[in-house]
Amino acid sequence: MATDLRISNISKIYPGCIANDNVSLKFKSGKIYALLGENGAGKSTLVKILSGVISPDNGEVFLNEKNLKLNSPLDAKKNKIGMVFQHFNLFETLSVFENLSIDATEDNKSLRVRINEIFKKYNFSIDLDVPVLNLSAGQKQKVEIIRCLLRSPKVLIMDEPTSVLTEQETEELFISLKKFCDEGILIIYITHKLKEVLSLCDEVAVMRKGKVVSVSQTQNEKVETLANKMVGQKLAKIKKKINISKNKDEIFKVKHLNFYSDDPFETNLVNLNFSVKKGECLGIAGISGNGQNELFQILSGEIITPDTSIIFRNKEIAKLNPKQRREYLMAFSPEDRISQAAVPELKIYENVALNNFKSSNFFEKGLVNEKKIKEHSKKILSDFSVNTDNVELKSQFLSGGNLQKLILGRELITAPELLICYNPTWGLDVGAINYIHETLIKINDQEKSTILISTDTEELLKLSDRIAVIYKGKLSKIMPSEEVTPEKLGLLMGGGSID
Amino acid sequence: MIKIEKRNDVPMALYFFTPFIAIILTILGGGIIFYILGFNPIEALKFYFITPVSNLYGLSELLLKATPLCLIAIGLSFCFKSNNWNIGAEGQLTFGAIVGGGVALLFYNQEGFHILPLVILAGAIGGMIFALIPAILKTYFNTNEILVSLMLVYVSKLLLDYLVVGPWSNPEGFNFPETRQFSDSSRMPLLFEGLRIHAGIFLALGAVMLSWFILYKTYLGFQIKVSGLSLKTAKYAGFKGKTMILVVFMISGACAGLAGVGEITGPIGQLHRMISPDYGFTAIIVAFLGRLNPFGIIFASLVVALTYLGAETAQIFLQIPKYTGQVFQGMILFFLLASDYLLFFKVKNLNLKKNDLRH
Repeated sequence: MATDLRISNISKIYPGCIANDNVSLKFKSGKIYALLGENGAGKSTLVKILSGVISPDNGEVFLNEKNLKLNSPLDAKKNKIGMVFQHFNLFETLSVFENLSIDATEDNKSLRVRINEIFKKYNFSIDLDVPVLNLSAGQKQKVEIIRCLLRSPKVLIMDEPTSVLTEQETEELFISLKKFCDEGILIIYITHKLKEVLSLCDEVAVMRKGKVVSVSQTQNEKVETLANKMVGQKLAKIKKKINISKNKDEIFKVKHLNFYSDDPFETNLVNLNFSVKKGECLGIAGISGNGQNELFQILSGEIITPDTSIIFRNKEIAKLNPKQRREYLMAFSPEDRISQAAVPELKIYENVALNNFKSSNFFEKGLVNEKKIKEHSKKILSDFSVNTDNVELKSQFLSGGNLQKLILGRELITAPELLICYNPTWGLDVGAINYIHETLIKINDQEKSTILISTDTEELLKLSDRIAVIYKGKLSKIMPSEEVTPEKLGLLMGGGSID
Repeated sequence: MIKIEKRNDVPMALYFFTPFIAIILTILGGGIIFYILGFNPIEALKFYFITPVSNLYGLSELLLKATPLCLIAIGLSFCFKSNNWNIGAEGQLTFGAIVGGGVALLFYNQEGFHILPLVILAGAIGGMIFALIPAILKTYFNTNEILVSLMLVYVSKLLLDYLVVGPWSNPEGFNFPETRQFSDSSRMPLLFEGLRIHAGIFLALGAVMLSWFILYKTYLGFQIKVSGLSLKTAKYAGFKGKTMILVVFMISGACAGLAGVGEITGPIGQLHRMISPDYGFTAIIVAFLGRLNPFGIIFASLVVALTYLGAETAQIFLQIPKYTGQVFQGMILFFLLASDYLLFFKVKNLNLKKNDLRH
């Protein structure tokens, strides 16, 4: 039976922002639809309305011409609208089967039979009796999908599903989605990754600032055309990096980096050895949770490990804390920009004072030199085009992109010899990502080095001179980036090996 | 179904105004309790909050009680602002009084201007050392400072007990559990003839000024602020976390020790079992009611001191036990926490019908 979903004149207004402005869209089963837009374009709001999490101020949703009243997620379920969120809603300590049986209406025996039928049909294989915490991100997502399939959905909404997946898992997901589509399930695929739209979807709706700005067939689109629609302006293409770092001196060298933790939520690191040359960008790829957190903290000095040797500019710095390392001209941009790299409740200039080193004179003889800090902050705001000049603003009022610019600016204005950053563009929109990529390239052009720990393979391939992959706390061999393909990276990130 | 959500932006003015709401609610709550007990609530509240301070003697008593509360709360604000939960100020007060009192007893038959400063210094150092115990255990052995500092309160109280009945008891004291009277040179000078208010109040005011300066104008204050808001950020910025824990506990202990020594060299004049009506615990309420702000703490210490005085007047005039003071202190804390909750979070009604829970 064909399904036909129609959204008509949906509006949702939050104080100070119009999340959805008179949005109307039509979907028909048999096709995969992409909903494309930057962060804050209104995709998530629209999806939340469709899944009953929030209700619109205005407008209606029709499924097969029936006007739906979606006041709660249960209403969406009852109307056979299934939803897989970006962050999984699974009980980690319960088994796969227990997770699936929580909201089932049938007895366990027939449920097991039905699950096995789904497994057979779509070629899934997951052990039903292991706890969910033992599963990979891809498998967890499958559990979520199965949960939707058990309710024989008419509509399946996927919210940024590939952000946690390897290349292989992504391919598998796409195959499954195409199968669902052939069986008459209407699929709405939310993403900001342009390539996925082109390879998977039939039709694409682009949202910007709460409005639908274009609806088109993907076959008529290219990456550039979609990107321009998304951002609303022509994007300057970042020039591919020229490898300038051959035969340069090694500026940073790590030997025998081992880390052992009793905490089951931390990853042990096993004998990491690597070095970075002057003007080089070393990329470290991997799916999150494979030891990147621990590695970053050890490199920044937040965790001190015994027996590790870290040589920076010919000095042993393994025992120094982050502040002392900064004095040697290292800089750090952690993944958690909201609550680690900056404190949301602090004003911009106070956040700037976090990166305080002797020559900055922020604190002379133990006293705060507010004037100096504010001058310095003003310079950062203008040099790194943060869209405010008010240093008294609390940093919680900065958007993600502006906050990241502020943090990078704070770290870079000291002209460090080495910048270590971890997922610097995580969750940012295309404009901000471009700005940050340009900045990172500029650092290398100035003969300064970077270590880029990232889960975004596209970013790594664009910026790195050499790339290594971290998997379960072990580092692969380091490869020149010309020899690396996304497929190769995906294989290594998933624990495979290449010869 | 009800959903609790964090508010993103709390106006500063409202943040400093909520303590007043809490105080008003406490007074209303007190009125209701008095009514239930069969008193005329207006009369009773008048005895509680107005009569005690309607003469000069009363005002002097108010300041006398506010002084230790203010001092301890100022010290605690350093700890609380940096996420260190020192609950044992009462113990640090007691130990400060023991050390200061010990020095005063050494000089019990001597006179001289050097004696009082020595006694005060000894009290501050005593409190500081006692506060270092939970701090060192926390930094080097990962113990919980709440438990350790709290349990040390009883250690210091029992030590005081032992000293005043044993080795330090007054040889001419007919076995009363108390020490000799201190010499006049170990006593805080009185500010006015006939009133009990003494020079210790300047210690408290000095602590207020100094703490404002440290918290808002120094690198140490900046580190305390950042650590209180986000320990992750403090670590990332490379602040010396362990040193800071030791320093804030030392400041806090020294303030409590000063409060203790102020009591024994001020109104009491000797050591005995009851040197503090739980000032160290009540000061926790003072610190939070004052929003951990030095000037807010002055105000809060006056309000809470009034509950002590009011309880004493009510005992005399209404024949109700003076422990009602603690009821009022409890209500202040309760209403403050409750209004803070509503300040920082909003309650949303999701409007789910009952039968929606089954499908």
